[in-house]
Amino acid sequence: MTCHDAREWFSALVDGTLGADEAGALDGHLATCAECRRELQRFRDTVALLRGAAPVRAPAGFVDRVLEAARPAPWPRRLLRGLFLPWPVKLPMEAAAIVLVSVGLVYYVYRTTPELQRSARLESTPPVVTETPRLTPEPSAPSSSREKNQPPERDKAQEQTRSMEKKMADRRDAPRDADRQKAASRPAPAVAPLVGGKVEAPPVDAGRGANVAEERARSQAAPAAEPRADASQPRRPATAPSAVMSFAPPDVSGRLAVSDRDAALHGVAELVTRLGAVESRRVAASDGTTIELTIPREAYPEFVRELGRLGRWQPSQEPASLPVQVRVVLQIRG
Amino acid sequence: MTNGRRRRIQAPGNLERAVWSNWMEGRTGDDASLVDRLRRGEPRAFEELVIAYQHRVFGVALRMLGSRAEAEELAQEVFLRVHRAIAEFRGDAKLSTWLYAIASRLCLNRLTSGERRMARAGEETLTRLASGHASPADELERSELEAALHRAIAELSEERRIVVVLRDLEGLSYEEIAAALELELGTVRSRLHRARMDLKDKLERFLP
Repeated sequence: MTCHDAREWFSALVDGTLGADEAGALDGHLATCAECRRELQRFRDTVALLRGAAPVRAPAGFVDRVLEAARPAPWPRRLLRGLFLPWPVKLPMEAAAIVLVSVGLVYYVYRTTPELQRSARLESTPPVVTETPRLTPEPSAPSSSREKNQPPERDKAQEQTRSMEKKMADRRDAPRDADRQKAASRPAPAVAPLVGGKVEAPPVDAGRGANVAEERARSQAAPAAEPRADASQPRRPATAPSAVMSFAPPDVSGRLAVSDRDAALHGVAELVTRLGAVESRRVAASDGTTIELTIPREAYPEFVRELGRLGRWQPSQEPASLPVQVRVVLQIRG
Repeated sequence: MTNGRRRRIQAPGNLERAVWSNWMEGRTGDDASLVDRLRRGEPRAFEELVIAYQHRVFGVALRMLGSRAEAEELAQEVFLRVHRAIAEFRGDAKLSTWLYAIASRLCLNRLTSGERRMARAGEETLTRLASGHASPADELERSELEAALHRAIAELSEERRIVVVLRDLEGLSYEEIAAALELELGTVRSRLHRARMDLKDKLERFLP
């Protein structure tokens, strides 16, 4: 037996787990090796030192603290824990808060995306100069200012719009400035701008003017058709009619059969001015002209009477109760 | 959830507690009875368990971690785990072995996880470990010896340290250590022997 082998058995010897054969062999070596005997004694002393170490005591109050911690949590807290932390892997509260806020923001942005897109369109569209259709012809004015800042993807629609407007401008009648000034001085008219020739629409209406242009471009495919009303467009308050209102469904629509269309158009223009109405749209076709206008409810009966003088008025839609501002779509045939 | 977990644990009054604690401390018999009572949810059974094993569990934690605050936290966690999982205790091993197994595993996990603050393990902890009622000179000498002893233990590798703590400081048998640490007996023997040899070299100065 070598010294190394003998020392490997020291632990077993000290703990009394050494077998009889090994114990005999170790005793034989120790009897002849003084160095291993000294080493064994130091080994025994070390173990005795360890076993004689002062016992460690738990700090005062330890039992109470453990018992307190072991008490079941109040049922509301357990319920909340069960409801909100059901996962085996718990998210730190900070991370959960970030996730919740992010999800909320994404949802909010998602919900408001159409509004944002509309706002972006409004900002990219310059104020539109809206020309009121007139009954008397007038040298056609190029509407170049409108297209200058249009985004390129709208070029096609703009082209269609331009051609549509040019066609309409060609049919314009002579201006009636005196009547227009008279109309502008009346208290009743809804929105003055559209009555008096070229006016600059406010920014919001300018944006909607772009929509008007798009709508016109769309209606180019069927120019004689009755103006379409965009059902998705909410009705604006009656106190603020404008060109955009033509997209709302009309309150009254009908056909005016006349023998002389130009004379009838002239007469309607006079009526519009005299009764404080606002003409918002006009579409001319070979078989007739469609005019959209808004007229105060109190002036509507007289308007109908006057239409009867101009031709044969056949209303296709005329509700019993009318709003304060009545939207009328008038088809003049003849 | 068992009835036992739902029931509140009633702590006795201070005087009664002191007498009872002294009687309970270090008690190791009647483990089977205590386990039965714990399983039945007897209010005082858990308290008896904590009183009986607090110093041993805390001792293992302190020898392994070196910090009293950390050791208390870990010892508390050991008892809370026992409290939660007493129904899972099969009774194959002694209750004390189960407690040592939980304590050892938590200590080793904490030592390898890097969570602990090593700065805590300083001289303050080592000098506090010293105790006794000898004369001031003896006290000083003993303090020095204890400090050296525990410093030497702290310098052992974790796997050797836990074996020597369980064997020579807590008095577990080889078989109990093997069961608690889920090791082969040969591994326990080997690690224990290496730990003792290391300590012999480190404590050379204090040996007679």
